[in-house]
Amino acid sequence: MFVLASQFMTAQSAGVPDITGSWLRQGFTVGVRPAGQQTPAPPPPAPPPPLKGEYLKEWQARLQAIREADAKGQPIATNAVACLPEGMPGMMTATFPMEILQSRGQVTIIEEAYTQVRRILMDRPVPALDDIEPGFFGHSVGKWQGDTLAVETIGVKENVRYQNVPHSKDMKISERIRLVAPETLWNEITITDPTVLEKPWTFTFAYQRMKDYTLLEYICEDNREYADDKGHQQIRVDPEKR
Amino acid sequence: MTRRTGMLAIALVIVMVLPVLAHHSFAVYDHTRTITVKGTVTKFQWTNPHGFIEMDITQKDGSVKHFTVELTSINMMQRVGWRSNMIKPGDTVQVVAAPLLNGDPVGLGLEVVLADGKTMPLPVPAIGGFKRSEASQ
Repeated sequence: MFVLASQFMTAQSAGVPDITGSWLRQGFTVGVRPAGQQTPAPPPPAPPPPLKGEYLKEWQARLQAIREADAKGQPIATNAVACLPEGMPGMMTATFPMEILQSRGQVTIIEEAYTQVRRILMDRPVPALDDIEPGFFGHSVGKWQGDTLAVETIGVKENVRYQNVPHSKDMKISERIRLVAPETLWNEITITDPTVLEKPWTFTFAYQRMKDYTLLEYICEDNREYADDKGHQQIRVDPEKR
Repeated sequence: MTRRTGMLAIALVIVMVLPVLAHHSFAVYDHTRTITVKGTVTKFQWTNPHGFIEMDITQKDGSVKHFTVELTSINMMQRVGWRSNMIKPGDTVQVVAAPLLNGDPVGLGLEVVLADGKTMPLPVPAIGGFKRSEASQ
């Protein structure tokens, strides 16, 4: 209790905004009642990724293949079918509730779906890419700039793709997280990746505070979806019961 | 570009980059019709990524056919009021489901009438995209 209290006081005494608590992406309200009004008006929708020619073609072909497979009722198996986490920046879409915890030297973000966890280490330099190993969430460092939590993330695995958008190992994700109203948090995300993008790709997610909501556990205990030998998504049925 | 086509272009862009809401695609299920099945529960699988109801359905000729109902994430179910003890083996339940397109006896549950007569919704993403049939099976 003493440790928790002292960590809380550290965050507060530093004069930084209190963003600790549960949040849900605005508009994704299946089965939940976010607190307060959704003000101010939501941020503009994300523009398409400004991909360079060959990568744009690859992305559009992938979307087309997904649409055609869905239309045939034979969807292409994705990472999600294997119960793999979304990783960065996908987990920040917070389609399931997301918890932010502020403690000494670290901001921790937990996404309920797949129990995804990312740790933002505060007030330290971005590591060199050669000194870290790639992962689903990458390596994040952050600092408070006035009312804004500025976070830089590098080291996201190339097979971890948000919206099927390709990226290189050099992708950098910059986030500017701030309260725009007492119960509304915005996260302006900018993806910089000169290898695949013509220019940085910026979009903003808006979250609504969920008062008194405690995240539920989420374990892929029995995943009955699988990819067949053609890469199509299937569902496991007991052969004797077909 | 006219204002109208401009708006259409913006709308298309929005559709293109909308995040995927579900654990996976529900395109394996028929979006053009639903079936209503009533039977005896053999198992209520309370797990992520999705829950399941396994049930035996007695046919008109007296034979019994097994049917599997895929549910959503149990987290989403809890947020609309579901609990793990709401269904037990032996319960008689009625389910409105979108059937699997490949013909296997599986459906995506859209709504369940519990043994006590209470109707429970299922928080299926984009549930409005499933056209309901009036006829029951």
